[in-house]
Amino acid sequence: MSPSHTAGFARQATETVAVAPVGWRDACLGELDRGGRFCGAYAVGAGAGRRWNALFADGEATRMLSLEVGEGEAVPTIVDLLPGADWDEREAHDLHGLDFAGRESLRPLVAHTAATGSWTVPVSGEGTYQVAVGPIHAGVIESGHFRFHVVGERILHLDPRLFYKHRGLQRAAEGASPERGLAFAQRACGACAVANSVAYALACEAALGLVADREARRGRTLLLELERLYNHLNDIAQICAGVGFAPGNMAFAALKERALRLNAELVGHRFLFGTVAIGAGPEVSAARADALRGALRELGEDAASAWRELSFAASVQARLGGVGVLSAEDAAALGAVGPAARAAGIALDCRSTSPGLWYGSSFAPAAPARPSGDVGARLEVRGVELPATLELLQELLAEPIGAGGSDPGPADPRGVARVESPRGETVCAVELTVARRLGRVHLRTGSYANWPALAHATADNLLPDFPLINKSFELCYACADR
Amino acid sequence: MFVLLRHLQRVRREAALPRRQGARSLAIRHVDAGSCNACEHELTAIAAPQYDFQRFGLDIVASPRHADVLLVTGPITRRMEGPLLSAYEAMPEPRRVAALGDCALGCNVLADPAELALPLDQLLPVDLRIPGCPPTPAEISAAILEMIDGG
Ligand code: SF4
Repeated sequence: MSPSHTAGFARQATETVAVAPVGWRDACLGELDRGGRFCGAYAVGAGAGRRWNALFADGEATRMLSLEVGEGEAVPTIVDLLPGADWDEREAHDLHGLDFAGRESLRPLVAHTAATGSWTVPVSGEGTYQVAVGPIHAGVIESGHFRFHVVGERILHLDPRLFYKHRGLQRAAEGASPERGLAFAQRACGACAVANSVAYALACEAALGLVADREARRGRTLLLELERLYNHLNDIAQICAGVGFAPGNMAFAALKERALRLNAELVGHRFLFGTVAIGAGPEVSAARADALRGALRELGEDAASAWRELSFAASVQARLGGVGVLSAEDAAALGAVGPAARAAGIALDCRSTSPGLWYGSSFAPAAPARPSGDVGARLEVRGVELPATLELLQELLAEPIGAGGSDPGPADPRGVARVESPRGETVCAVELTVARRLGRVHLRTGSYANWPALAHATADNLLPDFPLINKSFELCYACADR
Repeated sequence: MFVLLRHLQRVRREAALPRRQGARSLAIRHVDAGSCNACEHELTAIAAPQYDFQRFGLDIVASPRHADVLLVTGPITRRMEGPLLSAYEAMPEPRRVAALGDCALGCNVLADPAELALPLDQLLPVDLRIPGCPPTPAEISAAILEMIDGG
């Protein structure tokens, strides 16, 4: 599997189309008809001259529809056509004051001041009641609030309320230089630090007219796969914890710890912080590459034997089927990405359309044997992807990685990049001012895309199964809250 | 399952854990007040076989009512200030507050200032500071043990 794009324009291209308000919904539908996939929308600016940009992925290309929103004007909603745009519209309303016409209700999402009834869906009937959980949870878990509408033990509906960790990172980055902005992207989430930083760096490079060279692409891909490795090990450990299977939890926690130590040996940081730069890539000497290959081979063997044991642990396997089902249809409608989408049978993995990185043209999204969209299938996707990631790492480390750089290329007015994080497609859009400062940074992570799908997948399940369902998605709160 | 247990046995042998010295116990309640999640990953890791902090009598407990120590991560967002303070209020005395990670220590914080509450040490009396971004599991365990042994 050798990458086909060794020379030339190795970057996801972005094309922007200005659309008038009357044509907005048709233009979005048109994108879907052309085979585009909605991958986020974001507002720019405040007051008059605000814009509302919707992004559609189509293979390696991204198309942006851009709408100018005049003072007092409302944007025609697209949430009925694209339920996956729900959070984007609600966030734009809360943070940028955008109004949307044609929606039933615009419940607060990021804003936290409103009364409970305003951000929950009304649920009523005989025996219905609410269970409130969080923002502080029982274990070592990030902060967020869940409001379950239940009858007895059965969940009718879940309203998640996140953004307790909202730090205004995107806003805080405005005005900074592109290089300085990296810290904000990295800080958005420790467990996706590389994916977020690489997406940001690629977006900045597109806006600055730079194209990462071969070595930088290899170096970044190495970092991304090292990040995926420890996250997948972590996620398997967490699912074991979710069913109370301590041997599996501890075995995979120990493997994750080994992966983190390898990261520290390689770059000096267990979570690979500070390794991504604009227009450059990390260097890996032949000696280090060899040592890492050896250690990863051993880790891979132990992971394979632990995984085999897990598949024969009948008491674990019996708990996974039919729990937290996300159907392929719902996953597509809600815009689910990453392992959650692949577990539902959707062949979507950004790595197969990332010319700015070092995945071969033959890269294919992992497919579980039973794409049943349940906890078991989401676990299996991790199990299938682990050896694939280890194999990719062996290939990348077969030769040393030189100091990466960049070549001049065409500059896009807006830089957009899509990168596959351990949780799915992470989209970063960067707009620069004339003075080459950050005018707008938009980071829509895999977790952000998947939270509504997770909430949907809990319906009709038992309340005590929620922690297990939650862990099978293993989404970050920090990534969504930003 | 036996293979998994053998794996764990080997990890423990390689980690060459010191024998537990004396009897002690400490119940910790963690509150994430806006972290990036890496501090949480490291806090979780102190329970992994390579560290196994429970052998020192340390435990993460589900309720602040059962806790001796409030272990705080993150730069304290405006939205987490209230829940953080109520968790502290719910703790029995004597109680301690530990700041885990540079963010909780108010160092190198990145955020829109409008989204942040006061720094932790201006909201609560901080007894233990564990610097790092994030501090490693070994550093976290060492700092907490030093606090117990130091009285
Ligand atoms: S101290 Fe560092 S690792 Fe910990 S929450 Fe802050 S940024 Fe994340």
